[in-house]
Amino acid sequence: MRQQVPNLLGILFLGFFLAFPFVYTGGDYDYIMHIFIVGFFYAILASSWSMLAGYAGQFSFGHMGFMGIGAYTTALFCHYIYLSPEPTNLCAEFSIGGVYLVIVDPIGVTSTTLTQNCLRQALETWNGSVQVTAMPVWLGIILGTIMGGVFGLLVGLLVLRLRAAYLALFTLGFSEILKATISAEIEITRGQAGLETPALFQNGVTLFGHFYSRTDKVPPYFVMLLLLLVCLAILAWLARSKFGLFVRALREDQDAAAALGVNTTRYKVMVFVITTMMAALAGAVQAHYVGIVTPNSLFLLQMSLVVAMAVIGGVENFVAAAIGAIIIQFVLEFLRSSFDIGGVTVDMSIWRLVFFGVLLMVTLRFSRNGLIAPLIDYFARGHVARETVEKRGSAKPETEAGQ
Amino acid sequence: MEYPQLFWGIIIWMIVWGIAGSILLRKRYLYRDLDTSNANFVGAMMGAATGPVGLLPMWMRTPELNNRLIVLPTIAAVTLLAAAFAFSDPQNNCVVNGSFIASQFTNGLIIGIIYGFMALGLTLIFSILGVVSFAHGEFYMIGGMVTYFVTTVWFPGISPILGILAACLVAFVLGAVFERMFLTPMYTGKMDRPIEYGILVTFGLAFTLQYFVQAVAGANPVKAKRFFDFPIVRLPSAADPWLVKSSRGNLELFDTISISNPRFVAAVMCILVLLALLYFLHRTWTGKALRAVSLDREAAAIAGINPDRMNMLAFALGGMIAALAGSLLVQAFSWLPQVGNIPAMRSFVIVVLGGLGSLPGAFLGGIIVGLVEAAGTGCIPDAQKAASYIPAYGMIVLTLTLLLRPTGLLGRRFAGGSHGKF
Repeated sequence: MRQQVPNLLGILFLGFFLAFPFVYTGGDYDYIMHIFIVGFFYAILASSWSMLAGYAGQFSFGHMGFMGIGAYTTALFCHYIYLSPEPTNLCAEFSIGGVYLVIVDPIGVTSTTLTQNCLRQALETWNGSVQVTAMPVWLGIILGTIMGGVFGLLVGLLVLRLRAAYLALFTLGFSEILKATISAEIEITRGQAGLETPALFQNGVTLFGHFYSRTDKVPPYFVMLLLLLVCLAILAWLARSKFGLFVRALREDQDAAAALGVNTTRYKVMVFVITTMMAALAGAVQAHYVGIVTPNSLFLLQMSLVVAMAVIGGVENFVAAAIGAIIIQFVLEFLRSSFDIGGVTVDMSIWRLVFFGVLLMVTLRFSRNGLIAPLIDYFARGHVARETVEKRGSAKPETEAGQ
Repeated sequence: MEYPQLFWGIIIWMIVWGIAGSILLRKRYLYRDLDTSNANFVGAMMGAATGPVGLLPMWMRTPELNNRLIVLPTIAAVTLLAAAFAFSDPQNNCVVNGSFIASQFTNGLIIGIIYGFMALGLTLIFSILGVVSFAHGEFYMIGGMVTYFVTTVWFPGISPILGILAACLVAFVLGAVFERMFLTPMYTGKMDRPIEYGILVTFGLAFTLQYFVQAVAGANPVKAKRFFDFPIVRLPSAADPWLVKSSRGNLELFDTISISNPRFVAAVMCILVLLALLYFLHRTWTGKALRAVSLDREAAAIAGINPDRMNMLAFALGGMIAALAGSLLVQAFSWLPQVGNIPAMRSFVIVVLGGLGSLPGAFLGGIIVGLVEAAGTGCIPDAQKAASYIPAYGMIVLTLTLLLRPTGLLGRRFAGGSHGKF
C-alpha cells in the first residue's frame, strides 16, 4: 500500500492542476494563473536540468542560455518573416511556389518605422489590396526547439568529451556571450528594449466549447501543463530505458562505463541535446505567452533559480525537481511583499533570494537529494530495504544447508 | 573595413587548413605510433599559418613536436591574422596610429596583470581542493564593496590601505568559514560525487552572496575615490617632458602611452602581492606544504601535513586574492552586486588557457587575455559594439583552447588525489 502513495498523490496533483482553472473562483484569478504558468515553465527547465545534472552528472549552467535561444529564434522568426502573395520589390524575398517569403529588413528601435520598414512601405502602396500573412506561431516554436538542439549539439561536442568542470565553465560563459550578443545587436534584436512576439493564440481559441480570447490565461495554462507532462513522460521513458541506465552508469563512474562498452561521449551529447531542446521548447512557448523577449531572461539569476529549484526538489529525481519548481515559484511569489521591522523596511524581493541561496546550500550539505525526492523514495522504495533484509534472512539458511 | 572579402577570405583559409592540419596530423602521428598529445595543436597552427606548404613536410617527416615547433607556428598564425587585418582595413586606428597601438598594448598588459592575479586565486583553489570555485567573482565583488564601504561610507578619509586590508580579512574569514562548513565533507567520503557537489555548493554561495550584498548595499552602482595620486613628475625637463609626464590621475610615457592612475596602482600592488605570494609559497613551511598537497595529497599527509587545514587555507587564500583584485579595482570601475560575473568568467577562461591548477600558467594566461581584449576593443571598427563584446573575446580564446589543447598552455597531469578526476 505504502508504495502506491506517490502514484496516488501524483494523480491527485494532476487532477488538481487539470481542474484548477475551472474550479478556482477566488480573487486575482489572472495573477494566480500566471504564477502557475510560470511555475510549469520553471518545472520543465528544472526537470530537464535535473535529468542532465542528476542523472547524467553533467553540470551545465547554460540551461537558461538554451532557453533564450529557443525564445529568440521564434521571436526573430515571427518578427522578420512574412508570407505575401505579391512581391514587395522592396524587401529581400524568395518565391516559393507562387508565394513570396518576405524578410523584413532589421531596423532596430526607431520611431520612423514606416519609412524604414520595407514591408510597411509595400503595404502602404498596396493600400489594403494584398493580405500579408504572418508566420504561424507553432512553426516558430518548432524552429526554436530545433535551434536549441543544434546549439546544444555544438556545445556538447566541444565540451562533453572533457571532464565535468569544463562543461560548467563553458556553458556559463556561453550564456553570458549570448546575453552580450543579444544586447549588442540592437538593429536585429532591439537589445534591452525587447522583441515583441505574437500571442500563442493570436485569434483566440475555442477549448471545451468555450471561446477564449487572446489574453485569456486558460489556453496557455493548458499548453504549458501539457508540455510539462510530455517532457516528464519523455524523461521517465528515457530514465527507464537502456539509455537511462547508460547515462547513470557514466555518472557513477565514467571510466568503468567506458570499459564496459558505453560510448560515453555519445550518450553525454545525446542527453545534453535532449535536455537543451526541452529548455528551448519551454523558452519558445514562454516567449509567446509573455509576449516579449528580453536579454534579461538570460541573467544568471534565472539560472540560479532553476538550479535552486532542482536541488531543493531533488536533483536526482526529475519529478521531484518539477514539483519543487512549482512550489518554490509559489513561495517566491508570496514572499514578495516587503515589511518593516523597527522602522527599517526589509525589501523582501531581494531577501527572499538570499533565503533561497542559503536554503540551497544547506539542502546540498545535509540532504543531498533535495527535500521532496527523499519523501517519494520513502514511500515508493521503503519496501525495498525491508525486502532485501528479508531475502537475506531467508537466503542464509539455504547457503548454510548447501555447505 | 575596406576589403572585407580579403579579411574573411584569409580567415576562412586559415580555419579550413587549421582544421585539416589538426585532423590529418593527429591521424598521421597516430599511424606512426608517435606521441599525439600536441599533434592537434601544432597541426592546427601550422595549417593556419602556412597552409599546405608547412603541413606537407610535417606530414611526411613527422618530426618530434618540441617547444619550438609549438611556439613558432603559433606566432606565425597570429602574425598572419594581424597582417590580414592590417591589409584589409588600412585606415583603421589600430593599424595606422602607432601611439594608439602602444597605448592599447600597455593598457592590455596592465589589465592583464590584474586578470592574471585574480585567476591565480582560482587556480590555487583548484590545484589544492580540486574544485572550481564558482563564487570567485563574488569574492571579487565583496572585496570591492568592503573597500568602498570602509573608505567612503563608514570611515571617510581613512587610508585606503586599511580598506584593502579589511577587504582581505573579510574575504579570508568568509572563505575559511565556508570551506569548513560546506566543503569539508567532500574529503571525508561522506558525499558521493564530491566534484559535482563542489560545483553546486560554490554556485549556491555565489547566488547567496550576490543577493545578500544587493539586499544590504542596494543595486545602485558605487565607486571609490582614487586611492593615491601620482607625484607630479616632468622628465627630462619641465619644459619638454617627452619621457615621463604625470598629472595626479594620469601618467604619460614618451608623449604617447597614457596610463590611468587606478589601473597603474592596481597593477603595481598586484605585482607586489604576487611577489609576496611567491615568497610565501616557495620559502615558508606553510607555502611548501600547500604546494606539496597540490602535488600529491596522500604523500603530503604521510609527510606530516594536514591536508584538511591546507584546504581551508587555500580556499581562504584564493578568495582573498580575488577580493584583493576587487578592492584594487573599485577605484577604477563602478561597482554593482553583479559586477563579479564577467571577471569570474574571465578567470575561468584564463585558468583553462593557462592550464587548470598551474600558477605560472594563470599569470601568463591573464596577460594573453588582457592583450586579446585590448586588441578586440581597439581594432573592431564599431567602438560601441566592440565594448559590449568584451566577454566574447575571452570565450573565443576558451573555445580555441578547448578544441586544440584542453590541458592548457602549461597544464600538467596531476599525480593523484581528486585532481585526476577532471
